[in-house]
Amino acid sequence: MSTPHGGDPDTETTQESTATEESGAGDVQSRVGMRYTLSQVKRDTTALIGIYIVGFITLVALFAAIDYYIFDYAIAEAIMYNPERDPDEVNRLLPPVGMENQFGSGVLEHPLGTDHRGRDIFSRLVYGTRVAMTVGFMATAIGLVGGTLVGAVSGFYGGWIDDVLQRFTETIYAIPFLVLVIAFMTAFGRDLTFAMIGVGITAIPVFNRLIRSRVVSIREEDYIEAARAAGVKDRHIIFRHIIPNSFAPVLVQATLQVGVSILIVAGLSFLGFGAQPPTPSWGQMLSQSRGYMLPAPTFSIWPGLAILFTVIGFNILGDGLQDALDPRINN
Amino acid sequence: MGLARYTLWRVVQAVPVLIGIITITFFLANQIPGDPVQTMLGPNPGQEQVEAIQARYGLDRPIHERYLSYLSGVAAGNLGLSIYYDRPVLEMIMLRLPVTLLLMLSAFAFAIATAIPLGIISAKRRNKPADHVSRIVSLIGVSTPSFWIGLVLIIVFAFYLGWFPARGLVLPWADPADVRGAETQFQVIRTAAHHLFLPMIALGTLQMAQITRIERSAMVDSLQGEYVKLARAYGVPESTIVRKHAFQVAQLPVITIIGLGLSTALGGAVLTETVFEIQGMGRLIITAINNQDYELIMGTTFMFGVAYVVGVIITDIAYAYIDPRVTYGDET
Amino acid sequence: MTTPLLTVDNLKTQFFTEDGTVRAVDGISFDVYPGEIVGLVGESGAGKSVATSSILRLVDSPGEIVDGTITFKDKTLFGLEEGPDGEPRPSEEMLTEEEMRKQVRGREIAIIFQDPMESLNPVFTVGGQLREFIELNRDLPKEEAKQEAIDMLREVGIPDPVNRYEEYPHQFSGGMRQRVLIAMAIACRPDLIIADEPTTALDVTVEGQILELVAELQEKYDTAFIWVTHDMSVVAEICDRVNVMYLGEIIEQAHVDDLFYNTKHPYTQALLNSIPRPDETIEELDPIKGVMPEAINPPSGCRFHSRCPEAREVCQRVHPEPRDLAEGDRPHRAACVKYDVFDVGYDASPPLETEATGGFSAGLTQTGPEAETDGGDR
Repeated sequence: MSTPHGGDPDTETTQESTATEESGAGDVQSRVGMRYTLSQVKRDTTALIGIYIVGFITLVALFAAIDYYIFDYAIAEAIMYNPERDPDEVNRLLPPVGMENQFGSGVLEHPLGTDHRGRDIFSRLVYGTRVAMTVGFMATAIGLVGGTLVGAVSGFYGGWIDDVLQRFTETIYAIPFLVLVIAFMTAFGRDLTFAMIGVGITAIPVFNRLIRSRVVSIREEDYIEAARAAGVKDRHIIFRHIIPNSFAPVLVQATLQVGVSILIVAGLSFLGFGAQPPTPSWGQMLSQSRGYMLPAPTFSIWPGLAILFTVIGFNILGDGLQDALDPRINN
Repeated sequence: MGLARYTLWRVVQAVPVLIGIITITFFLANQIPGDPVQTMLGPNPGQEQVEAIQARYGLDRPIHERYLSYLSGVAAGNLGLSIYYDRPVLEMIMLRLPVTLLLMLSAFAFAIATAIPLGIISAKRRNKPADHVSRIVSLIGVSTPSFWIGLVLIIVFAFYLGWFPARGLVLPWADPADVRGAETQFQVIRTAAHHLFLPMIALGTLQMAQITRIERSAMVDSLQGEYVKLARAYGVPESTIVRKHAFQVAQLPVITIIGLGLSTALGGAVLTETVFEIQGMGRLIITAINNQDYELIMGTTFMFGVAYVVGVIITDIAYAYIDPRVTYGDET
Repeated sequence: MTTPLLTVDNLKTQFFTEDGTVRAVDGISFDVYPGEIVGLVGESGAGKSVATSSILRLVDSPGEIVDGTITFKDKTLFGLEEGPDGEPRPSEEMLTEEEMRKQVRGREIAIIFQDPMESLNPVFTVGGQLREFIELNRDLPKEEAKQEAIDMLREVGIPDPVNRYEEYPHQFSGGMRQRVLIAMAIACRPDLIIADEPTTALDVTVEGQILELVAELQEKYDTAFIWVTHDMSVVAEICDRVNVMYLGEIIEQAHVDDLFYNTKHPYTQALLNSIPRPDETIEELDPIKGVMPEAINPPSGCRFHSRCPEAREVCQRVHPEPRDLAEGDRPHRAACVKYDVFDVGYDASPPLETEATGGFSAGLTQTGPEAETDGGDR
């Protein structure tokens, strides 16, 4: 038998735990709230690593935001290099510290070298973090709110409302999302705001599917029936019972979706849709680096590593949350 | 009854989705600011010229009329005219589609061929070193932007090592006369493979990572199934259990993820084609957008949708073929 | 009696988990003679399934057989000997994994699992799965194996076997699937079939049919059975001899008639009191008090003392091994110190206060004095 306690007892415990899960669905807050999540996450090493990475990136992004909005790059200028004010392009394509290439040798002032216009790559990476995180979170938030609404309404009411909404999300899903966002941005605007909205829209079907299937299964549960019989309003049932009950899978999906959104937005910036120069973004840096792959390959490497590191953080966190919050999976 | 009818049923089901795609792309394209006629004729065109062009592309009619005529045009296989190329949109698409399909197919072939063994090894040696390596590789794979993989591959394998070309693509069925340095069809195929290798890996890595993850967890589940226990209890060799009993069941989630991955991969094709300067559908849509070529934008977007829908239908059929529990919709 | 087909001696199987060692099977011994049906009875978690998978050496990690001997005919399925370093190691006679697979599993000892819904592979035809096992364990060529499979399906009462052969498990009902699993076991012509709670997942009418079918087939093929169940009424219906398990140990071992009419162990008595019996009229059924403790940390002394209505102070200290208490010529072993042969001063020992002896209320439905006393000798 594959179980720690031998065949029988384990089947019994599993049944028991599912039973508690179901019957405990009434006191949702205690089981699925933030505190429960944190207590589970603390016991899961992978989730913790994910939290550290995401936390670190968030701090970097906050630093960049504060420096940009309040100090007008004063901090960056003091400790690194002004990422925006171009010098006379004397520092064009410097390699990272300790390395040499045809344009010169790396200096401490530019730990990761400079770009094709003499700007410090490290500072631009730090400022790119702000864009990536903002877009990642905002797009996910749009998808989350939109998808939750669509899914909850669709699953709860069923009938023609369900049909119409589901056909709509299916259609959105049927256009490859990068293409859809490109078309959307061509129509409405090429800047970051529309990148966020566009990517958010493509995330709607993901959350819709998740919420709808749970709503459909939860709708039939006894305590929902009871709430209905007691005359509780539909809206109240959806927001007070059904949505909180889906907390765990939605949190996992949302975490992973931030990573996906960052990847899509990087791709968009690479194609010239998204943050417009001079605002630094990682995808745009990669796009600019394409002309200098031979003389300055590090220019292409760093922004990609930054994306990789950030997205890995969200993926590890998502996987860790999944393990921590889903009692059925024990790895 | 049977797969043929199921296929037909799925195709019929796809029609409303396709109409939906046309509708969305049509109205998005109409939102595009700027005037294509002006783009075409330059800053100071004569009134007659403008009217002639507008009449030719049907721009002088109200929007709902144009929508309906576009819809019926698509139904008749007419996607309109490309202003930029001055050719029918469909012709342009047919020229570019094989390139993208070749890229997609090879990327998925690469992904499946590497991911399935990786996933199985991972599941069989759960929590052992081989599993950790495969899990880390697939984690990196799902977290890396495909276009960056392309850039790194170019830097390393094209620029430094010089093993593969950095740009362009040759179709293996191209005429040897059109391919530089090739005299026989075999040489064309070799050149094609040579060109295809790096883009294939760039585009396929994400899918590979995705499929590895699913294959692993599906095999882990499946190897714990009661039917595997039963097979063991009846003396079935472990290798047969893995290859046949567990594997067959584990294919179902993998097929699902391949279907879902099509959307990412089609989007990724746009990026990969940009990185490797391949003249496929992805470059076509970017060119169309940069030149405000309405009908070409609509046509290419629609074709991306069609490609995805067709891909999903194919994966659905594969799923139904493997899983006998799928009811074919007509036996309720 | 003749020589036993299967001898299990002092079998110990343990699971090494993060929380500690689970002694799922802790030194059980029993025999199975050719052609008889031996019951293995106990509540969920008693270690019955672990015991049967140990016989086939199919205990999954982190479980491991740590001690004991399992002999089947002249083969040693499991056996240890002392290695040169003083540590136990597998004995020379013990079959290798390869030999177990090729010579024993399916071919000599077949198994019927509890859950007919999950035990068949959903993506292969029922007939194909049956045929595969026949091919493998009876060395028949494909075509003959297929014919045999169809014959077996007919034999276990599946109508229209030629067409049903091509169908998939989801097209079969639970009872029909269990028939297929029985067909698999019989078709390999083993000498011993382990039936691991094969009727638990079925409803009562189907259960009756399956039991009838098994009895019929058992007679026809003269196969021995180990019948694992928690249901005393099934035991009464089908078994020749019975082993009662509690927390990894066999606490009573007797012929089925002796077990029912001359019950020795209070646990067996409690099990019997919890089912309706056609031969006795009682006012109310009497469920066993409390739940079985975890095998990871079993109670000291007699493991049942925490739930035993007759527990005395000595029961906490003395751990009894089963002894023969036979009054007739058939052996009847039980492990309870209240019998004089154990001679540990039970009579002089003060009664223990447990929920089962009425020391405190366990909040169960029945707390009247009658209920508490009638757990003893009847």
